[in-house]
Amino acid sequence: MISSYASGLLADTGIAFIAALSVHLVLAVGQLSLGNAAFMACGAYVASVLTVEHGVPVHAAIAAGAVVSGLLGVLVGFPALRLRGIYLAMATLGFGEMTRSFFLTLDATGGAAGYSGMQRLSLGAIWAWALPLLVLVLLAERSRLWLAMNAVRDDETAARLVGLDAVALKLGAFGVAAALAGVAGGLFAHWHIFIEPSAFALERSTEMVLAVVLGGSTVALGPLFGAAALVLAPEALRFIADWRLAAFGGLLIAILLVRPQGIIDRRLIQALKP
Amino acid sequence: MTVSRRVLLATPALLLARRGHAQARFAGLEVKLGAIVPSSGPFAEWGRTNTVALRMVEEQINAAGGVGGARLSIAIYDDAARPAQAANLVRKLADDDKVLAIAGPLTSSACEVAFPVANQARLVACSQASSKPGTAAANRPWAFRNTIDESVLMKAALPWFKANYNADSVVIIYDAKDANSVALGSRIMPDMLKENGIRLLNEGALATFNTGDIDVSAQVTALKALNPAGVVLAADYSQAVTVLREMRRQGFVKPVIGGTPLISSAILRAAPEIPVVSSATYYAGQQGDKVRRFTETLQPRLRATAGLPPTIEPSMYDAHMVEIVGMYTDAVLRAGITLKPEDLAADREKLRAHLATLSGYEGLSGPIHFAETGDAVKNFFVVVGQNGQWGEKLRGCSTHGSLTC
Repeated sequence: MISSYASGLLADTGIAFIAALSVHLVLAVGQLSLGNAAFMACGAYVASVLTVEHGVPVHAAIAAGAVVSGLLGVLVGFPALRLRGIYLAMATLGFGEMTRSFFLTLDATGGAAGYSGMQRLSLGAIWAWALPLLVLVLLAERSRLWLAMNAVRDDETAARLVGLDAVALKLGAFGVAAALAGVAGGLFAHWHIFIEPSAFALERSTEMVLAVVLGGSTVALGPLFGAAALVLAPEALRFIADWRLAAFGGLLIAILLVRPQGIIDRRLIQALKP
Repeated sequence: MTVSRRVLLATPALLLARRGHAQARFAGLEVKLGAIVPSSGPFAEWGRTNTVALRMVEEQINAAGGVGGARLSIAIYDDAARPAQAANLVRKLADDDKVLAIAGPLTSSACEVAFPVANQARLVACSQASSKPGTAAANRPWAFRNTIDESVLMKAALPWFKANYNADSVVIIYDAKDANSVALGSRIMPDMLKENGIRLLNEGALATFNTGDIDVSAQVTALKALNPAGVVLAADYSQAVTVLREMRRQGFVKPVIGGTPLISSAILRAAPEIPVVSSATYYAGQQGDKVRRFTETLQPRLRATAGLPPTIEPSMYDAHMVEIVGMYTDAVLRAGITLKPEDLAADREKLRAHLATLSGYEGLSGPIHFAETGDAVKNFFVVVGQNGQWGEKLRGCSTHGSLTC
């Protein structure tokens, strides 16, 4: 039996992992999104309104939030994916701020005052989403589809020349990633049982990206390790009090210096195999 | 640091300790309290002064013999003003540290997430600063706030502002990234201005800025062009100073009114010639023996603490923290609490019941009670910050039903 404190940290890790997984999918096609917190917000608000005001069962509501977020992702992806690299990052960053401002002024969901009334999910329910999603992405990484996505990431022109539909691949990855962020949002809302626009600000998007960069972007286990590090390391460093966050920053830099590819990658997994 | 015995004996918590010492019925036991403060992040200054205030009370009570002979131990954790961390810290304090009650969290956002966890854990949590309307009321019966709702305070401050500065027209500017500021600037104030017959010159186009903005010249220029008699500034002090400095730079010297987060020595330094009207339940410079001694005791400690400005003064939230610890130790002595580990759940319930019907507790600025909403019923002051100091202009009580000061 784990303490409620440990279960709280594990729940936060599970949610952060799913959110990071959404960035992992976008990175797999060579794109960088700094606006995935917006999709998380969308999933959180849709799922919350469905459970609180329409009595929809919580897991169905989270799934519905994911679908809405996914569709929004595709809609945003159409124009956004005409951009690349830093330009796409800036566009998605703008979309994230726009979404946050939208919920800030939306009276129906409480605006700045936030939205509450949800029933709290259990730790098990959060990992009941996280683990199957991890397995699904791990399986996807062994598929031809993932090879095609990586081909687009490595050289989009060459990928097009061999007949790959780069637009469809990027759009699909963006949509599925948005849906995953929506799942994370729905779980977040039903774990903390209170949401407000500031919970889905740029800082959240940055954390998602950081989790992937820190954990490793070449395999789905990377976001898991990265999310765990981001949630657990600041807690483990509490003994140094006021210097905690400075030490955490130093630790992140040290990890990235020692393992620029992230904590875990395919080579390490191979090396660890008996 | 040498502190005179007279000063030491001045804090309410210490007076309780002396009474408890005489009884010494808890000798060999420990009163474990928890505190959640933002020692890092956007409100780090408040969190760090809270920590100093808590350590001061802990030290004083233990030096005077403890709480009824029991040693006081306060586990202080930093939530970085992040709601998820605050919620997890409530769990940690409840299950791992097994505290009797929690002081904090500080921000309303953290309270919104942490209070439900406290309710679930059946553990009292009392915020030292949250003043967003309804936050404790939504999380009864274990959530309390040693603060007064912003809308209650503004009902007293705004008519005074209008009458004393002939402020028949104002403009609003608020921090669009901060939930409290948005609530005050875009929801509470427009309605309240109408109720008080004050014209809102930028209605429909309220001026905003974002937390962290360092240039608000465009917004202030636009506000100045409307030639208002006053300015409503909804932001915490760390952001409000940017607006005040810009107003000063542009020669836009008009009286400013805002919520409790404006109360800070930084506001006084930003634009000394601009009068800033706000409300407080404590302010450095407040008169009265008890409160003056509190200020005199804490201020040197704050100024000697690394990382805090050398001119810092105790904040209202430090006073609230000391009062919260005082109320908890008062409960230990008066509520039939045993402090035995096997009675922890029962002791927590006794403390909660004691707070819910609190009577006879004297805070730094007068008696404190708790309404059924969980918010404090206590004295407050409308204050004006100008020329480097806060001055009291009006005194009131957040009367709730039959509960009054």
